[in-house]
Amino acid sequence: MSMTANTAMAASTPRRGSSIAWSDVLLNIYILIFFLYLFVPLLIMIGAAFNVNSTPSITDWQGFTLDWFTGEVDEETGRVIAKGLPQEDRFLQGLWHSVIIALGVVAIAIPLGLSGALVLTRLQSGSTTFLYTLLISPILTPGIVLGVTTMIFWRDIFSVEAGLFTTMIAHSTFIASYCMLMFMARLQRQDRGLEEAALDLGASNVMVFRRITLPFLRPTILTAAVIGFLQSMENYNTTFFAIGGSWTLVTEIGSRMRFGLTPVINAIGVIFIVITVVAAVAWVFFRKREKG
Amino acid sequence: MSSLIRSYGGVLAALFGGLTLLWIIGLIVLPQLNMIQRAFIWEARDGAAQQAGVDLERAYQKIATLDYDIRAAKRDIERGSAPSAAPSPSDPFAVSPGAPSPGGLASSETPDKRIVRLESERTELQGQINPLKERFGRLKIEEAEASGYSIKNFTTMSPLHWRIFGMTIFYAFCVTLLSFLFCYPIAYTIARTQKEIHVAFFMLGIIIPYALNELLRIFAWTMILANEGILNSALDTLGLIDLESGEAIRWLASNGAVFCVLMYTYILFMIFPMYNTIETLDKNQIEAARDLGASTWRIHSRVVIPHAKPGIAVGAIMTFMLSAGSISVPGLVGPGLHPDWFSQIIYRNFFEAGNWNIGAAQSLLLLVACTIFILIVLRFFRVGIQEIAR
Repeated sequence: MSMTANTAMAASTPRRGSSIAWSDVLLNIYILIFFLYLFVPLLIMIGAAFNVNSTPSITDWQGFTLDWFTGEVDEETGRVIAKGLPQEDRFLQGLWHSVIIALGVVAIAIPLGLSGALVLTRLQSGSTTFLYTLLISPILTPGIVLGVTTMIFWRDIFSVEAGLFTTMIAHSTFIASYCMLMFMARLQRQDRGLEEAALDLGASNVMVFRRITLPFLRPTILTAAVIGFLQSMENYNTTFFAIGGSWTLVTEIGSRMRFGLTPVINAIGVIFIVITVVAAVAWVFFRKREKG
Repeated sequence: MSSLIRSYGGVLAALFGGLTLLWIIGLIVLPQLNMIQRAFIWEARDGAAQQAGVDLERAYQKIATLDYDIRAAKRDIERGSAPSAAPSPSDPFAVSPGAPSPGGLASSETPDKRIVRLESERTELQGQINPLKERFGRLKIEEAEASGYSIKNFTTMSPLHWRIFGMTIFYAFCVTLLSFLFCYPIAYTIARTQKEIHVAFFMLGIIIPYALNELLRIFAWTMILANEGILNSALDTLGLIDLESGEAIRWLASNGAVFCVLMYTYILFMIFPMYNTIETLDKNQIEAARDLGASTWRIHSRVVIPHAKPGIAVGAIMTFMLSAGSISVPGLVGPGLHPDWFSQIIYRNFFEAGNWNIGAAQSLLLLVACTIFILIVLRFFRVGIQEIAR
């Protein structure tokens, strides 16, 4: 198919006038500008993480330093000369909170999403659309509304104050929907004949699920777990309302940004970017291999 | 459900059904209903009943203090004053009643007299208690009568807040529209790129900023827009403004800054769904249209965009919902300086004013606005809810 497309393109090329070439040039310039728009702010942020200047900046360059990553402590007195990441206890504590929440979210959202997907793909009635709408509604709901409803609900009904637990529940509500969509996409490609055959050959229902359905879904479970974990870690808008007096890494970054900018946030940003780049490269490579 | 039972048996089917129900009822429906209920319950809080309650509480406390003093005085009589009535020779410091005792506030009166005085004070206060109680009860009932199901949480919202609500929706709509215009050429180009390696680079180019935490994207922009930031420094270098003499332009504290950063933060939610749908378009269709003499404009309006409708719908819905409900961008771009965003008003009602029901009403407004937007988009693009989010 791509062959025919290529030959078709080759055939049509001579007929394009110079005006089309111009539009191509314009398009390329536009694409360049767009990607500059996406990346220049990030590059500025990376640059400022290595500047001695305690106000994040790249224009006012005062020298190269790694202090914002490592911190600087006077060996003899133990006095902190420059406050870097290791001296920021709240960030580390927040990271820990984030990880706890994200693990809980994965543990809740995967079973819920899987159940929802199984029910939806097997349901043959007029209520499927309604059920589907209901189950993906958390994705379409603004994050702050999810945070607010979860917070009020758990306090009104169970007298549970806002905190790590309510945040976990609020995240699970919509991350389960994403998991469900992933499972549905996978289940639609399932050959149901296999299950039928196993049943005909005398396998028990539980065995069919454990030996046929689960292995078929395993890659999706892994992907859904990773994506769900990351989504929970990254979330700000829902967390901000549901976290109460506690904090996560991201809300802590947020509250530090309110009280003035510090290059420590740039340092965290650089770490995030490195992780993101590595993950993105891995994902693109993985996707290419899966396709090819 | 029967197909589910046939494949996995009653127990597993019940488990899946049960978990789904738990999710629907416990996490989605009940919390929303709870919020809606709160939104329609008006809490009269003019503070009169609360004040009466405080007064009553204070009277009770005073009586308790008096009781304590009276008991102390009585103990004095039993213990301290009894020996003083018959001074023992072994205790040279004991003083006879009536004689000025060294130090002490109650020195001028005898315990007996003190008790009488305290008792009379107590009776007087006791007399005040009942009217206070009555008043408190009456105000409570009045408040309870004024409270209850009503739409006052919406009708009493100030015109300013309605305007902010409107502005938030309007800005979110603009972000969505502009994001579509900016992203369409990019999504189209990536989807039509033939070389694998180019596609990979394009994908990296959009995935990296997309996957990066939104706060960090915001942070990068606050660095640019800050008073001493990159933009002002650049203008300074160009000689347009003079930073030294304090001519810094305050970019941050404006709706415009919030708008720009919203664009930057949520624009990529538009690209991915669009890219996914355009990619599935058979490239021969475009060639066929071109060979038949269609202009570029017609190819897009008649071939590509109709095909990409579900993707555009999803992108528009996500971008709109995220920008309308964002607390991160308005909260962190020039915190506290620019005019409010609706999400910030909701936040304030919950965490600063303690008006949970009004906050619930405003959350409901936001939810309704987003729902209406979704319905309009689905109608406009003629796509069903089943087709989206795939």
